[in-house]
Amino acid sequence: MSGSNFSKKFIFNEKIDSEYLYSLYEDDYQYIEEIYQTTLTHFDEDFNAIQRAYETNNISDLKKAIHKMKPTFGFVGLTLVQHICKVFEDFCQKATSSNELTSEYQQIVVTLAESKELIASEYNKLKEFNSNFL
Amino acid sequence: MKWTCVIVEDLQVAADYLVKCCEKSALLQVKGHFTNVEQALEYLNKNSVDVLFLDVEMPGATGFDLLDQLAYYPKVILTTSKSEYAYNAFEYNVTDFLKKPFTYQRFQEALNKLTTPAGDNNISSTATDHIFIKCDGKLVRLNNDDILFIESMGDYVKFVTFDKKYITHNTIKNLEEKVNRQTFIKVHRSYIININKIDDIRENDLFIKGNEIPVSKAHKADVLKRLNII
Repeated sequence: MSGSNFSKKFIFNEKIDSEYLYSLYEDDYQYIEEIYQTTLTHFDEDFNAIQRAYETNNISDLKKAIHKMKPTFGFVGLTLVQHICKVFEDFCQKATSSNELTSEYQQIVVTLAESKELIASEYNKLKEFNSNFL
Repeated sequence: MKWTCVIVEDLQVAADYLVKCCEKSALLQVKGHFTNVEQALEYLNKNSVDVLFLDVEMPGATGFDLLDQLAYYPKVILTTSKSEYAYNAFEYNVTDFLKKPFTYQRFQEALNKLTTPAGDNNISSTATDHIFIKCDGKLVRLNNDDILFIESMGDYVKFVTFDKKYITHNTIKNLEEKVNRQTFIKVHRSYIININKIDDIRENDLFIKGNEIPVSKAHKADVLKRLNII
């Protein structure tokens, strides 16, 4: 957001909506790195809250936990994952018990775990990219 | 002089981004960031701020609970990822509603609303947040936010709200000039809709609370431009 101008453009993973990221942060790769770092720092805490709520059959907390985590993925350009979270949140709105969400939950847990790996990998790439231009 | 503000947001990355936006604007001084309503209330009951960036769903109480308990009313910009809260947002007369994540440009638009002088703001809000229609021999006030859509019926139009329908002598063409263009958009020669009420869009139709409304080819591009498509 500071409008840093690098001559070289960072190549994001194809699963990341880079145009969307640029719309949020322009080409401030240092700041994008910070965003990825913050996301990773808090990822497990938010992910665990989802798992804990599901396992204790607490639908109210499950809705809150997925709702909280949802925009995280927008901030890192994973707009599809953000949408998947929205769909799961909608399922939670209708559900009265975790048992009704078994299949959707299993899918989203995999999606979230894969997303974390992707965010971590992009963070490392960004860190290296930025260190080369400091 | 800068506006003082507080951020009430449980998602760290969203709070950090808001701080960054505030710093970039050079118009706001962030006095604090709180991750729940209880902490925020403790601060706000002892300190007055000009602007409150407020998430809705947080652990424990909601952002609306905080507004209910505040002894004074700063300008409020809601930040949430759920468009469904737009209705409550207008009920609480908040200045703006930012759907996370939002661009810096969208953030600036919200700030523009803050920087409108208080007097002008009052005039503007009363002039644009409702209309009066002639119906059954009286003038009936309709809040913009209550109107789902307006449908042409020849020389008459039907105003459809959440729970009522009002038929009055008028035309879509005439209303197009008079309704608040930030809220309403013409989507078809026979329909003006409240842009904030769209549930979904499929091909050449959109849906508002179970009502199927045609979108003409001529208006489709304008409608899509107005949506927050991410």
